Formats: sequence, C-alpha cells, structure tokens
Amino acid sequence: MEYTRFEKARIIGARALQISMGAPPLLEVQKKDPIEIAVLEFEEGVTPITVKRERETRIRPPV
Amino acid sequence: MYQLTKMEGIIAIPPEYLSKNLKEGLSELVRERYEDHLDKEHGFVLLTWDVKPIGSGIIVHGNPSIYQKVSFDALSFKPVLHEVVDGIVCKVAEFGAFCHVGPLDALVHVSQIMDDYVDVNLVNSRIIGKESKKALALGDTLRARIVALSVSELNPDELKIGLTMRQPGLGKHEWIKEERKKKEKEAK
Repeated sequence: MEYTRFEKARIIGARALQISMGAPPLLEVQKKDPIEIAVLEFEEGVTPITVKRERETRIRPPV
Repeated sequence: MYQLTKMEGIIAIPPEYLSKNLKEGLSELVRERYEDHLDKEHGFVLLTWDVKPIGSGIIVHGNPSIYQKVSFDALSFKPVLHEVVDGIVCKVAEFGAFCHVGPLDALVHVSQIMDDYVDVNLVNSRIIGKESKKALALGDTLRARIVALSVSELNPDELKIGLTMRQPGLGKHEWIKEERKKKEKEAK
C-alpha cells in the first residue's frame, strides 16, 4: 500500500511514540532515537500499522 | 445468581505489552480491568477467559496505547430484585446484620429480621427477638429475599443489597426447619 505524506507522518509519529514508551523495535538497529527507528521500520515496510481510509485518496508523485 | 455470559469491551493495550503474545496480553488486561469489578449489565465479574480480539486496534493521536475491541466469556454474580438467596451473617451492627451473599455483602435491616421487636447486642454480636427469643448470631446461615439494590455513590465498585427475612419460608435456616416440622405435626 502506498501512503500519502500525511499518512506517512502519522504512521511514523505513532510508531515512534510506541517505541519511546517501551514497545520492542522490529529491526536490529544501532540507533537510539525512537523517531529514527520508526523511519527505518517504515522504509523497510515492517511497521505494524495500517491506515483506515474513509474515501479514495490520490497520491501525488514526489516532485 | 451466578451466570455465564459473553461480554464485550474496549481495552487499551499499553506499548510495553506489544512484546507479548497478543492473546495472552489481552487476557491479562481484561482480567485486570473486569475481574473483581462491578459491571452495570452483568453484575460483579468473578472470572474472565477466552478473550478474542474483534477487528483491528485503533491508534489515537498523542496516545501510545492501542485500543482493541474484545469479546470474552465471563462468570459473574448478578443479584436480581426479588431473588431468594442464602447468606452467612458476617457482621452485626446496631441497624442490622450484614451477611455474605455469594461474593458480595448484603444488609438485613433490624426491622426485616423477624415478626417481632428485636434487641441488638453488639457485645456478642447477636440479634434477639423480644418475645420469640429467636436469636441471630455471627456465622448463622439464613435465607432471604433481595428487596433493594443500589450502587454505592462513594464507591461505584460496591453494590448495596437490602434483604428481608419477614416472609413465609425465609429466615435463619433453623427457623425454617422448625416451621416446617410444626406444620408437619399440625397436618398429622
């Protein structure tokens, strides 16, 4: 599933908060910052979060 | 009465629970949230098991917990108005006797103990009928009817149950036996 930049921000934000509050990271990384870990997880596609869409979303290609 | 029911609810899963097995974590959280607590619909919940998640959880803005809808089986004690129950006297106060009814405590007011004026003796925890000399003491078993039910305003986890023993077939178990023997004799 492709995400809009808003969804991406929300997913990484939610995941970073979970990690900072004690959730186990899903990747073996040297990094300490929960936001960096969340970004890496998102890029690897292992973040255990999906988006519930109320309606069709158009994804704008990166400029 | 005791009852087996299916219950549903929404459970907040804190992030540290994400390292656990989902089912085990949910069972633990449901146990903490529901067991030993009063539920408006199902009464006092004693045991919960077979917790199943319904759909996927929801993540709320600014909150690291995941909100998950669950269904589970529960054993609860739900007192019903006009229900006849058995109890054990556990405390005598100047206004009546408290007794254990299932997992909860109920009160039989002094005016509802027997068809007689009663003296309350707080020193040796006995309630004695002035004319009949019938006595109710600590540890006695009795049969009574629930006549009042209300949730305590001070503690929403507490249910106030009012009982009466002033009806045929109700009272201390010994009184009921005596009454029955008397009736059998009369019939002969």
